[in-house]
Amino acid sequence: MQADRLRQSGKRILQIFLQGGVSQLESWDPKPGTRYGGPFRAIPTSVPGMHISELLPHTARRMHHLSIVRSINSKINDHRQGMLYMERGRPAGDFPYLGSVASKYLAGPEATLPGYIHITTRGLNDQTAAFLGAQHAELTLRGVQPPDNLQLPGQLDPELDAQRESLRRQFDEPFARRRSNAELANYDAAFKQAELLMARKKIFAGEASPRDLERYGTHDFAKYCLLARTLLENGATCVKVTHHGYDSHAENFNFHLEQLEEFDKPFSMLLDDLHDRGMLDSTLVLICSEFGRTPKINTKYGRDHWGTAWSTVLGGCGVQPGAIIGATNAEGTEVADREVDSGHLFHTYLRAVGLDTYAEHDLPGRSIPIGDPAAEEIGELLS
Amino acid sequence: MNPAETKTEPVAASVDPVHTHVVAEYKHQRPLTTLACDPAGRLLAAGAEDLNVQLWDLQSDRQRTLEGHDSWVRSVRFSADGSRLYTACWGGVLKAWDLTADQPQVLYSVQAHQGSARWVGVSPDGRWLVTCGNDLLVKIWDAGDGSLRQVFAGHARHVYGAQFHPTAPLLVSQDLVGGVKLWNYLTGQPEHTFVADMMTGYDKKFAADMGGSRDLQFDPDGTAWASAGITKLTNGFAGDQDPLIVLFDWQTCKPLRRFHAAKNFKGIAWGVRFHRSGFVIGAGAHKNGKGALWFYNRQQDEPFHTVATPRAARGLDLIGEDRFAVAHADGTASVYQMTEPEAEPQTEPQTETEG
Repeated sequence: MQADRLRQSGKRILQIFLQGGVSQLESWDPKPGTRYGGPFRAIPTSVPGMHISELLPHTARRMHHLSIVRSINSKINDHRQGMLYMERGRPAGDFPYLGSVASKYLAGPEATLPGYIHITTRGLNDQTAAFLGAQHAELTLRGVQPPDNLQLPGQLDPELDAQRESLRRQFDEPFARRRSNAELANYDAAFKQAELLMARKKIFAGEASPRDLERYGTHDFAKYCLLARTLLENGATCVKVTHHGYDSHAENFNFHLEQLEEFDKPFSMLLDDLHDRGMLDSTLVLICSEFGRTPKINTKYGRDHWGTAWSTVLGGCGVQPGAIIGATNAEGTEVADREVDSGHLFHTYLRAVGLDTYAEHDLPGRSIPIGDPAAEEIGELLS
Repeated sequence: MNPAETKTEPVAASVDPVHTHVVAEYKHQRPLTTLACDPAGRLLAAGAEDLNVQLWDLQSDRQRTLEGHDSWVRSVRFSADGSRLYTACWGGVLKAWDLTADQPQVLYSVQAHQGSARWVGVSPDGRWLVTCGNDLLVKIWDAGDGSLRQVFAGHARHVYGAQFHPTAPLLVSQDLVGGVKLWNYLTGQPEHTFVADMMTGYDKKFAADMGGSRDLQFDPDGTAWASAGITKLTNGFAGDQDPLIVLFDWQTCKPLRRFHAAKNFKGIAWGVRFHRSGFVIGAGAHKNGKGALWFYNRQQDEPFHTVATPRAARGLDLIGEDRFAVAHADGTASVYQMTEPEAEPQTEPQTETEG
């Protein structure tokens, strides 16, 4: 079973999701001076010959840790469907999210935190685990607020709580023998997740240090990045951080100025810290979105949804650093070289952490390939 | 802060906004972003969604292109004698152009701001320039050689507009979240700070601020200034907010008027000018791509006259007393006249003949 082998590897995933559809032209694939290039300039990065938008000066100095894929054609312009394609690696169907797959195969029974933790302030409570079971579902943290009820009720001490839990199990076991295992597993998973979080409640205690706040910033996204660092340091397997505010049908340039300025520094500090702690070799770092934005600029200075030719960034965990995969044409209106879709990315992400995506899920009696059989990994990114 | 004592000639009685109509159009292949006219009414300059400035001669219709910026030009101003053009771009660069040559040349080019330079303005005596930008600074430059003279720090968010008072040694600046500062450029100190909170909003859904002064102008007599922008933000990412032009009293800094558009007009007010006869002209862009020109008096917040335009309006400037020009999002610079259209010369009806 590849799960047993992978759990020994200690690989983990940091996923930064720029919700709304970040503009590739204002980030990873700038086209200054062209018809649809917008007002911003391109700046050199720490990789010779690689330029990104001037809105990302801190990230630019760290691109030697990262690679850009500039040739995504996901053919989807709808927020939810685009997000689902990125997360599931398949354009349709009820499949588990990337983080739930990571939870199943990278986090073992001995994991001390839930396998898939999502830091966000908005969004639906998706059924991210699909058929993998509730123990691999996303645990949503509402920003840096600790989950509710981490403390035992006042009248309970740990010994009494353990007795209570034992009693629950005694009642559950005969009940479970006569009913659906899946439903009861979900029920039991909720207790186990709560137990893990209560045992590690100190993670959520205390304030960020002045030094960290100075480096990362004091706004919400900076604090989410600091929490992500803490979680990864404490054994989390997949941490997703969502940064909202890229759906700029109007005022695209002013809003990208604001949002990417907020993203750039804390993300760069988090990357530095993973590197400095020796964690980058074992942490896959992704910056993704549900789609890009139209090259054409509308009369509101906005860009609309665009799944036809956009970009994403990844690095760490053995991903070849400093590479540019694929290209768009001169005006950014279509993919000109090495077209890929979200299925290719899904394979690439999971193969980077060591999972054989052509294998089937560990599900007794079912035959479901982990990755979309119609896609494959971007081999040149994987060493 | 004494208002200017001005001696002015009477405005021609024939000027009446209700007669506003297009008398000329100048086309560029890219959407225009901003516009200015020289005080003598001879030249019109416009920035666009490209790296150049377009310069039109209003008498001959000759078009020249000024090349040299490496990002979109977002603010243009002429010197009082029309011999120079000052331009500021998203890349933070300020340039001065010599317009006396057949092909205008760059006199100087300075990196005025880190991040966008959102504004360039000229002092009443023509000696100084003011710029502001995303580095949160307001700066004064020697217009002659582009040397930096003063830096004003204190805004906490991107500074959108800054303008000299017509007579007092003061300038006003406004930032993204409505922060307004009055700076004394003799002492180098801020004299007054307040928040124009009606001109900014926080989009909770997308977690971002929107606001800023998209145009900022003093009444020539110095008693008031007007700032154009937005209000009532509901979904800035979709363009759902109302345009607003606020008239501020110079003595008290209190809003005298909140000029607004029709109730169903969602968009941004991009331009404002004071006409010498007392009315105020505004220009704006609707989220649907169309635009409007609004005419206000000082007695009410509603426009006394509105001209709908088929294209979004992004900049506005007066040409003398009876005309003004508007930068449109389809690349057209339109010249509007505020007097009655000249009667069409009567011609004999043409008869088609079979040949």
